[in-house]
Amino acid sequence: MNESFRISQKLGLMFLPNSPIPKDIKQWAIQQLHSKSPALGVKRIRSYHKPEVTEWPKSLQPNLQKRDEMFWAYKENKEKFRRNMPGFQTEADKSRNRQENLMEDLDALKFAHRNVYGEDQLRLRFSSFWANHFRTANIFDNGNHIGHAIDEAILGNINSDFSNMLYKVTTHPSMLIYLDNTYSAGPNSNEAIWAKRNGRQAGLNDNLGRELLELHTVSPSANYTEADINGAAKILAGWGAEPGRISGDKLISLSERNRKIKEIGGTLNSWDYFKTNYAEPGNKTVMGRTFGPGKGALRQLTDFLADHEHTINHITFKLAQHFVSDNPSQTDLDHISRIWRESNGNLDQIHTAVIERAIASKDAKFQWPMNWLFQVVRLSGANGFLGWEEEQNDDYNENIMRTRKIFEELGQGFWLPGQPNGYSSDKAEWLSGEMFERRIRFATALYNGGFPTEGVDNIMNRIGANKVTRELVGSVTGGRRKFVALMCSPEIMGLENA
Amino acid sequence: MPKLTRREFLQASGASLFLAGLPLPGFTKDEPPGTISVIMLEGGMDGLTAVPPFGDPNLFKMRKSLTPENYLKLNSFFGLHPSFKYFSGLLAKNNASVVHATNFPYTKRSHFEGQNLMQGGGLSPFAETTGWLGRALDLAKTPGRSMSLDMPLLLRGAHENDNFFPASIRNSGSLTTNLINMISNAHAEEGSSVFNKVSKKSTQKDSVVPRDPASLAKYAGKAMAKKNGPLSSVIKVDQFDTHASQGADEYGRHGERLAIVDDIIAGYKEGLGDAWDRSIILTLTEFGRTVKENGTWGTDHGWGSAALLAGGAITNSRVISKWPGLAERDLFENRDLVSTIDYRSVCAACIENALGLDHDLIADKVFFTPKLPRVYDFIFS
Repeated sequence: MNESFRISQKLGLMFLPNSPIPKDIKQWAIQQLHSKSPALGVKRIRSYHKPEVTEWPKSLQPNLQKRDEMFWAYKENKEKFRRNMPGFQTEADKSRNRQENLMEDLDALKFAHRNVYGEDQLRLRFSSFWANHFRTANIFDNGNHIGHAIDEAILGNINSDFSNMLYKVTTHPSMLIYLDNTYSAGPNSNEAIWAKRNGRQAGLNDNLGRELLELHTVSPSANYTEADINGAAKILAGWGAEPGRISGDKLISLSERNRKIKEIGGTLNSWDYFKTNYAEPGNKTVMGRTFGPGKGALRQLTDFLADHEHTINHITFKLAQHFVSDNPSQTDLDHISRIWRESNGNLDQIHTAVIERAIASKDAKFQWPMNWLFQVVRLSGANGFLGWEEEQNDDYNENIMRTRKIFEELGQGFWLPGQPNGYSSDKAEWLSGEMFERRIRFATALYNGGFPTEGVDNIMNRIGANKVTRELVGSVTGGRRKFVALMCSPEIMGLENA
Repeated sequence: MPKLTRREFLQASGASLFLAGLPLPGFTKDEPPGTISVIMLEGGMDGLTAVPPFGDPNLFKMRKSLTPENYLKLNSFFGLHPSFKYFSGLLAKNNASVVHATNFPYTKRSHFEGQNLMQGGGLSPFAETTGWLGRALDLAKTPGRSMSLDMPLLLRGAHENDNFFPASIRNSGSLTTNLINMISNAHAEEGSSVFNKVSKKSTQKDSVVPRDPASLAKYAGKAMAKKNGPLSSVIKVDQFDTHASQGADEYGRHGERLAIVDDIIAGYKEGLGDAWDRSIILTLTEFGRTVKENGTWGTDHGWGSAALLAGGAITNSRVISKWPGLAERDLFENRDLVSTIDYRSVCAACIENALGLDHDLIADKVFFTPKLPRVYDFIFS
């Protein structure tokens, strides 16, 4: 592969068929960190005509409060179905409830569209890296929030400091719901005392406190103790608004719901929602550091963890293994971690250091299933995903599956259920027959039903395909076989050649 | 908390299947005596909910809302969760057992270290790049092809192990062996060997296999029942990590997960047919859960748990346990059920039974612990 495409494979999503190839690839890559990021997509797919790429309509990108209210309405309607109320009885009523109030399928499609049509390919790759590092997988209750977290907490902070992103992700409803923090109450909180007196139950749950230390920051190498996890969980107690219904057996109006939410947390903003009654009074200790009572302690904790030497080393390795090499060298790691320290965790500078090492390293870098699919779609100009109108209306398309189904079949996606540790960047985790078979099948499906605009020879010339790839494509006959062979070549998958 | 219907639930359950250890035709003279299947319970299965020790007076003191009222009595001390309808029948037929207060010797309560250790079977997390079952299959000289979407660490180590998870991709047609072979040839060793497996599989005509856990188990059982079929299979069930609203009965979050395990065991039994008699199935989980209920109607990460064993290789059902007690002073760090039986010994006994390997060899080469206690007679006598 020529240098431009080699870099756009490792760090980006491959240049679109009509996009100009920059002369200075390194300068381009660094500038990409600040490129504009509109949510580009298509309304409908038409087989033989290239669909027009435009920005996603605002109406399909509700704000956070609206998303909270939609999920509440969805659950409130479910209760109406349970009671068999008029207008809440038929299958059509059910599917309308889903279409009107659940965002996950549209959000997953918007993510795919961005990655397939976006000109901001490096920003999107870094955004996916962090979305995976801070994975909030779909447990249904946070289905309306995952997309918002990726767009606003992660992509919205991609030019910020790591400490800022860490705080914004930790306090985002997608995370607070996913790791069960919304009900957690300090053992000596007003809520816990009240519960004890009334024969109810309330208390701490350490899920988010544990993963904040283990996965998001210092990692087990820091040798923290169970008491540290408990300290972090106590600082986190009180954070998060309850998703869904909040009125027990009663059906209530939206304004009543909003009044109650505001009463409990002082605001309708679920991204800055702290329930004083659930907070643990007094000081807390985490890894030798003491934190005072109150809402402000969490920011102090995340700032402390963000700067920690174990955090820097932990995440440096993950960045290097994702972008630079399957086996990053000590030089790669030293460079990135040094820049991290010197810049006090400035993400632009950290990402620039990653770009520099990815360019300097000639190692192949195995591409995740989802990034491979986006890259193949971009290289070939094929249609890989539905338009937003088709997804929203659940229209059948004989060539293209629903977005959720595509990610399920790929075996990777941010809207699938899963564990908070995210997907591995180590290629050893992906070397499976079924995973490889999926690549052959997706390449076949894109050729058969995606109407690629670019022929294999064009693509090979444009990327400067290597000898192995050309021989492989030359050794099979027929347009479909040549297409599949190219897309499953070691070069396009990011593996070594024979 | 979300209340999924059972059908939605099964669709979302994310169980995945792996089959392993298919002997190459004509390769093995002495066929291993049996088959071994593992059900991996990801997230930390609560042994005190699955097999409640109702005879321990501290159980109801420590957890108010987590123990099902309608448990089945196994003996005067242990009960069985109502989700285990099928499994209870196997217990009655002397084809199943329970091991309680057991796990791997890992007490640091991290999912990811724990999962790595329960599959890798090494002496510390992330120390091994192969799995205990993969190494055992390799020792038994049963290279082969196997059949979820990813390849679990548990099975890595025997070169020919493969996975199986039926694809359903619109417009992807049938695969041509020649094309796959050409692609395989262009790849270096690691990529090439994987495409080779795809190529071999493309020549086999698998009927359409549904992806729900019970169907996968039935499929695995059928494949293992065939002459020269795989000797081993692995099915993963996720979402046992119930920190909030865990529930008690078969409709609770944990209870629904346990019902999937029950369905899987039933699926195996049906698929295995006559091969059931020489089969052993065991569960595996990274840790049990805290004895005391937490503040959000759930439980946090613990240590000791319960394990289910099923299969015709068992001829005498029992609850195998050296009960450590549930009083706070009896718990590990005042919070977790102590593991009094090293689960590696249970795994070793199952390997010994199914693959005919000597215990000392398994202890040394599979678990790197030459002095690992042998518990075979407690399970299989």
